[in-house]
Amino acid sequence: MNGPSLTSAAGPVSGLARRRRIAARTRLDFWFDLVLLLGFTLAYSYGFTGIAIHEWLGIGLGLALLIHLTLHWDWVIRTTRRLLNPRGPDKVIWIVNLALLFGMTLCVASGILISRVALPYLGIYPLAGPFWTRLHDLTAEVTLGLVPVHVALRWRWLVQVGRRLLTWRSAGRGR
Amino acid sequence: MAGPGRAQAADLAFGGAGPVKFLRHLGAVTLVVAVVVVLGLAWNHFGASTLVGGLQASFKQVPPGARPPGAVVLRPGAGGGGPHGPVVIRNGPMNLGLGSMLDPVNLAVLRHTVVIEAVVIAIVVMIDVSRRLWREERRARQLALSRPDDDEPDQ
Repeated sequence: MNGPSLTSAAGPVSGLARRRRIAARTRLDFWFDLVLLLGFTLAYSYGFTGIAIHEWLGIGLGLALLIHLTLHWDWVIRTTRRLLNPRGPDKVIWIVNLALLFGMTLCVASGILISRVALPYLGIYPLAGPFWTRLHDLTAEVTLGLVPVHVALRWRWLVQVGRRLLTWRSAGRGR
Repeated sequence: MAGPGRAQAADLAFGGAGPVKFLRHLGAVTLVVAVVVVLGLAWNHFGASTLVGGLQASFKQVPPGARPPGAVVLRPGAGGGGPHGPVVIRNGPMNLGLGSMLDPVNLAVLRHTVVIEAVVIAIVVMIDVSRRLWREERRARQLALSRPDDDEPDQ
């Protein structure tokens, strides 16, 4: 996107380029998180999507979860280090996120193990069984409770970025 | 240290070191996810009875060849019992439901999910706002107590 001339240029240009790049990262986070929320809402609504879309969407969500965690791995490390601080501000968020990591991972993994369409379509016959079905149901319900909490704990950031994006869009259109 | 150090780190992250850093983080995340999956497998191995309730009715192990009409094969007989081992089936026919999103009746399911999410979000936001207001109020009160003479006019 930005050539080397921008990054190697003098202070103000370099600063502007960096700000632009960080804004791009914020935009990526915002839209990616929004897509994840929509994807999860659809995947949870099994009766609405039907089994085939539910399973493929679930596998996609699993991959997206890996990317989401990778993008925020710095935060995970930073907050985990600060956990010993008794007044750490992100402690509640960290606990919710850890529970969500367990819930979502086990939900996707058990979903893969009881797959009736997606994996058999690929010629893979997973370990079906009542334990995995029960685990899938349970973790899906836990995750449905935790996903909105995870979103809501960052509502200020979401509102701020959403407002900035809207202003940016309308400013761009006005030009 | 914060200013220039962070700027350098940002430059590194978005420059040539970006993909390496991303792959390194992806490796760490994959490892964590793998640990959680292994914990799930261990749970299934050592304490499956703690979770399994009345779901047995929907699954059955049958000998090869004895498959009721409409049953869906979940695992062919190549598992623990070898090629002639039991076949795991799910009773009843399977509907892929590819057209279910077009059926307005099923919209109620989606609406139900959205309502649950919206309610939880609203509750958390309300708690957060009221907690912040309470904290600001308390801080203002403490500030007022620590400076009792400020309101008195100068002589």
